[in-house]
Amino acid sequence: MKTLQNNKKYIISLIISIAIALLIGAILMAVSGFSPIEGYGAMIDGAIGSPRLLGNTIEKSMELCLLGLATAIGAKGGLFNVGGEGQLFVGALFSTMIGLWLSDLPTFLVIIIAVIVSIVTGGIYALIPALLKTKLNVDEVITTIMLNTVAIKVCTYFVNGPWNSPLKSISQGTDYIDKSIVFSKIIQGSNLSTSFFIGTVVTVFMWFLMKKTTVGLEINVTGENKRFSFFSGLKANKLMVTSMIISGAICGLVGMMLIYGYQGHMTQSASNEYYFDGMLVAMIMNYNPIGIIIMSFFFGFMATGATMMDMQVGISVQLYDVIFSIIIFLMAAQTGIMVWLENRKTQKKAKQLAEEKAKGLVEETAGKEAE
Amino acid sequence: MSWDQIAQIINFTLRNATPVILAALGGLLTEHAGIMNIGMEGMMLSGCFFAVAFSYICASSGAGVIAAILVGIILGLFFALFVVKLKADEFIIGMTLNTFAGGLTAFLLRSVFGKTGSWASTDIIQLPKFDIPLLSSIPYLGKVFENISVFVAVSWILIVIVWIFLYKTPYGFWMRASGEHPEALETAGISPIKMKFIASVACGILCGIAGAHLSLGYVNNFAEGMSASRGFIAFACVVFGMSNPPKVYVAALMFGFLQAISLNLQEYIASDLTAAIPYLVTIIMLIYVTVSAANRKKRREKQSLKEQSGASEAPVSA
Repeated sequence: MKTLQNNKKYIISLIISIAIALLIGAILMAVSGFSPIEGYGAMIDGAIGSPRLLGNTIEKSMELCLLGLATAIGAKGGLFNVGGEGQLFVGALFSTMIGLWLSDLPTFLVIIIAVIVSIVTGGIYALIPALLKTKLNVDEVITTIMLNTVAIKVCTYFVNGPWNSPLKSISQGTDYIDKSIVFSKIIQGSNLSTSFFIGTVVTVFMWFLMKKTTVGLEINVTGENKRFSFFSGLKANKLMVTSMIISGAICGLVGMMLIYGYQGHMTQSASNEYYFDGMLVAMIMNYNPIGIIIMSFFFGFMATGATMMDMQVGISVQLYDVIFSIIIFLMAAQTGIMVWLENRKTQKKAKQLAEEKAKGLVEETAGKEAE
Repeated sequence: MSWDQIAQIINFTLRNATPVILAALGGLLTEHAGIMNIGMEGMMLSGCFFAVAFSYICASSGAGVIAAILVGIILGLFFALFVVKLKADEFIIGMTLNTFAGGLTAFLLRSVFGKTGSWASTDIIQLPKFDIPLLSSIPYLGKVFENISVFVAVSWILIVIVWIFLYKTPYGFWMRASGEHPEALETAGISPIKMKFIASVACGILCGIAGAHLSLGYVNNFAEGMSASRGFIAFACVVFGMSNPPKVYVAALMFGFLQAISLNLQEYIASDLTAAIPYLVTIIMLIYVTVSAANRKKRREKQSLKEQSGASEAPVSA
């Protein structure tokens, strides 16, 4: 009952936060000389205006959802995986190369191997900071951030250096993978491909893992209180490493899905800080899997819409980042803001009460004097 | 390698270390005040943008610096309001501040100046540069001290000031207490919240200056995400230097040096690989510092245990 009430409170403050953020977004549009109605109109139109755009929205939502769940599982285990971007790049690079190297094998086999390779490489890249944390107690936030830049720089080197396409028509990046191993499109012309089914399976699996299994509970307990989990006989370090590996594996898989889903070849701009968007979604929803799944659709909608808004009306797409971060600021501080509001209310009430009392006293004494 | 080349590497080391040390000085203040400020990256990026914007609008680099400082104050207050007053998670607020700054600067760049990605113009006025008198006339190494941007020299002064402030003044003592023993400070009649606010605002100012140096110091342009993880590296330097200004400067110098030699290595190794070196070394340094600190602690504990057992033995033998 109490959690239900808490959830209700959370949802109400979420709606208020979104409204405030959209209002600030409208003000920014108006200040920079655009009509907010036109801007938001273009955003809605750009997200669901045509089947192609709707497909893009769904694909983007799936990405955000998976990356958000990746953040969530790490955070539940007590480790902040800020390095998903790097893990995504590593997964994308190696799965692309698998597609290019093994092009003679049957399609089905290539895809399976590519999925496995992306999961393994992403997982290994997440294993490094996880081991550093559990074995040597090195802060994982800094190491994962640094590993991001390292991965992106090294991937850039490979796609523009030794593995660069010899074809003149491709200025940057590797060769395109064979058409037969690219996921077929669910909606023609859009980014939405059959990789959506993989995404759905992973999403359901993650929800199940986090909410319904013992391992999920153990990870949760470890993240919340390492000492408690230690004294309950759980292998805290092992659980932390496991949660981090799962997180990295999902990021690697998303990298593979980006390439095999719609990009076709690996470039240095395979991902444009996608992981950070997913991470922020997870933060807004307090690492709750169901919440992440629902909210990623809202943010996928906004992200795709914002891109189209940029093209159609000329309002910079980055407005989306601004709106997005304002929502998070407000949600992160929601408890604080509520307490502050409540304090003010009680203060006001107390003041009113005191004033009434004082008035009564004054009248009383005045009456006595009159007598 | 000639003397000129060596002098140039040192010169580059100094200039690359400057934005990092400026931000790190801010970061160590908040660290002492008990706030983990991961949002320095965003504060620095905002400083970059507003310095360039106002240098262009007012045709004066001074106006750019003032704008960067003002933005730093606003962001510092904002950060403190959310983290200290409203008790929001500092990690979330910091990371979000970075996204916010990235989005806002790109948005403003596009909607105010009509540029996407990056912006360079001769109308953006650079910060003044000068040769340090006396030092620049040293034979062989004189080149090191030629063409020094203002904030390189300012950062040297600031290191001393911050050190004196932290360890030699009551305010610094209170600031350290606000992180270590806020209750004790409260009992002494000084508000720890106020000290945390001051630390956060100071951090904002220093990050703003760091940004101004980055975009106006030796170049005159702005590019999206031009702070390039320097805010995070500054945070790592604070950890390396154990929040002690001179030690933190050594860490920042090391980062600057790595960047300088990775420029020189580009003749032999691809530039994308050399660009990864500073970040990789940051990780290795972080491991080294953490492990050696843990070992030192262990050794000290062992020693104190030995002393204790020795003390308890003494009366028996007597």
